[in-house]
Amino acid sequence: MIQINELTKVYKLTKKQMMEQKTKKKMMKAVDKVSLVSKPGEIYGLLGPNGAGKTTVLRCIATLLKPTQGEISVSGYDTVKESEEVRKRIGFLTNEIKLDPQFSPKYMFTFFGRLHGLDDKTIEERREKLFAYFGIKDFEDKKIDELSTGMKQKASIAVSLVHDPEVIIFDEPTTGLDIVTARSVTDYLKMMRDEGKTVIISTHIMTEAEKLCDRIGIIIKGNLVLEGTLDEILNSTNTRDLEDAFFELYKIHNKEGE
Amino acid sequence: MIGIKNIIKKELTRVFTDRKMIISLFILPGVLIMVMYSIMGRLISNMEQDIKEHIPTVYIQNAPEDLADVINYVNFEGNITYMNSSDNTNAIRDGILAGDIDLLVVFDEGFKETIDNYKNVGDPIPEVKTFYNPSEDYSSAARSNFVASVLNTYQQMLLEQRLGNIEQLQVFYIDRQPESSVIVDEDRASGKYLSMLLPFLINIMLFQSAMGLGMDAITGEKERGTLASMLLSPIKRREIVFGKLTSLGILTGLSAIIYVISVVIGLKNLSQGAMGGMTSIKFTPVEIIQLLLILIILVYLYVSLVSLVAVYARTQKEAGTYVTPLYILVMLGSIMTMFNAGGDKGLQYFAIPVYNGTVAIQKLLLGELTMVQFGITVGSLAVVALVIISFIVKAFNDERVMFNA
Repeated sequence: MIQINELTKVYKLTKKQMMEQKTKKKMMKAVDKVSLVSKPGEIYGLLGPNGAGKTTVLRCIATLLKPTQGEISVSGYDTVKESEEVRKRIGFLTNEIKLDPQFSPKYMFTFFGRLHGLDDKTIEERREKLFAYFGIKDFEDKKIDELSTGMKQKASIAVSLVHDPEVIIFDEPTTGLDIVTARSVTDYLKMMRDEGKTVIISTHIMTEAEKLCDRIGIIIKGNLVLEGTLDEILNSTNTRDLEDAFFELYKIHNKEGE
Repeated sequence: MIGIKNIIKKELTRVFTDRKMIISLFILPGVLIMVMYSIMGRLISNMEQDIKEHIPTVYIQNAPEDLADVINYVNFEGNITYMNSSDNTNAIRDGILAGDIDLLVVFDEGFKETIDNYKNVGDPIPEVKTFYNPSEDYSSAARSNFVASVLNTYQQMLLEQRLGNIEQLQVFYIDRQPESSVIVDEDRASGKYLSMLLPFLINIMLFQSAMGLGMDAITGEKERGTLASMLLSPIKRREIVFGKLTSLGILTGLSAIIYVISVVIGLKNLSQGAMGGMTSIKFTPVEIIQLLLILIILVYLYVSLVSLVAVYARTQKEAGTYVTPLYILVMLGSIMTMFNAGGDKGLQYFAIPVYNGTVAIQKLLLGELTMVQFGITVGSLAVVALVIISFIVKAFNDERVMFNA
């Protein structure tokens, strides 16, 4: 269970960043009073364009960033005060976090398993299972440096799940994957949901959100503008598919504050 | 603790399973240093040999008749040209300036007559004037050789002629057998020589290895995005920092040992005599422990210094820029100790980080390090290292530093 209560995250901009973004403001509000609940046995999808604040929300949940205001609890543990307990329970995947290219997927899997305090027998069992599922066995001893983007992503996913976490946080998990591998990832997430795990993902792919997510939160310019099941969203925006709904909301909310 | 252990293991595996890393970190620098110092040593000894073998070109003006006999008697080797008082010496002096001619010796006109005519106090005493170029090795050597062998002998000879018995002049002798009057502790003598060079080398090498390794292991990992994956593990940031620093320390220590050994082998290869004292240095068990402790703490300090810079840098290039002034500081601290080995130092000097490490190693090689000095050195280094480490831990907890957020 993830509970986010009025999360606000403000970044201080450096002079260089201010120049790059052509702004005179020293602060940038990446996330503005976002509250949401992601329950066990459900896949929650954060949907939004690039730079909307999806990754920031997920990083705050994963304890990598501290909220400027508001609080987040994961399985009852506060992400700031009890970050270590939170990290024990989450599997986090994001594009910017990578595995050491000089090691093999097998080595990395064992390394992170040990950091999670697992014994070697458990690590091996988990590895058998996950490597078989994601088809990593053929290249488990190759250096990550030598792997293709898809292989790397598969290895990252497997490593992030080494400790069988009860909460899974995946930031754009299918980016860069071919259609077959992407399907195996989404299928795995469904399997996890059915096992009663809490799954939260971010995506900007509408069809993925439609097919995969039980509930969707649409985030635009740091605000959670609408939340609900696919049907609820379509009803309240009076549209026929998620893409139309998204643009309907984007038209309204992107103007605000300009 | 699980975290620290696993991180150390991983970091060491990373280096030792990578052939390129082993070659670039340990083997290549070791070989290069060895070759460099060997060449340096060879050049120096070649130079000395060359000066010894060089036959100087000497011009002598107004030479007294019996000078040639003296030159033959003392076996002074040189291409000697005799000149008359009417000859102009300007061309010779230009030749000395240009380094083509080594020495010009000018005797006063009527040199011998003036000496023979000496009767009473106040009568004229003639002069021998030498012209040479101190910036030319050949010229300096020729001059000192000529004065010591030819002129001194000639002077003694003339004195004997004038006085009949030269012993009248010799009121007493000083050290007729100079070898027997040297009382020296061989260990300390060779220690003194080494104590100038070794602490400096150790210091520089330690920092250099820490620099190369630390920037890759911290800034490099940050850049590659692999550090963040570790930050996601349920271990304390402190454990990550200690794991990283300890593995860096082990690697730094190892490469520094290799560097120092390479330097010593390189130097020993040639200047056999001078470095022969290396093997005669003996440490007591306590001294060995002291040396090890100082080295370990120095390694930790340097590794943490580099790491602190590396943590704040966004790219390895940036880290390189930031770390250079530190390198210069460490060098300065080490150079300062090179030229005042053995002098007594107040205890306060042992509280100055970096400098104190070098001084303590120096004193240890001389067998002069007291327990108090040792304690202050180790204590102050440890305090500084711990303060720096606490800053690193703080930086690891800072999302702005870690994620540029």
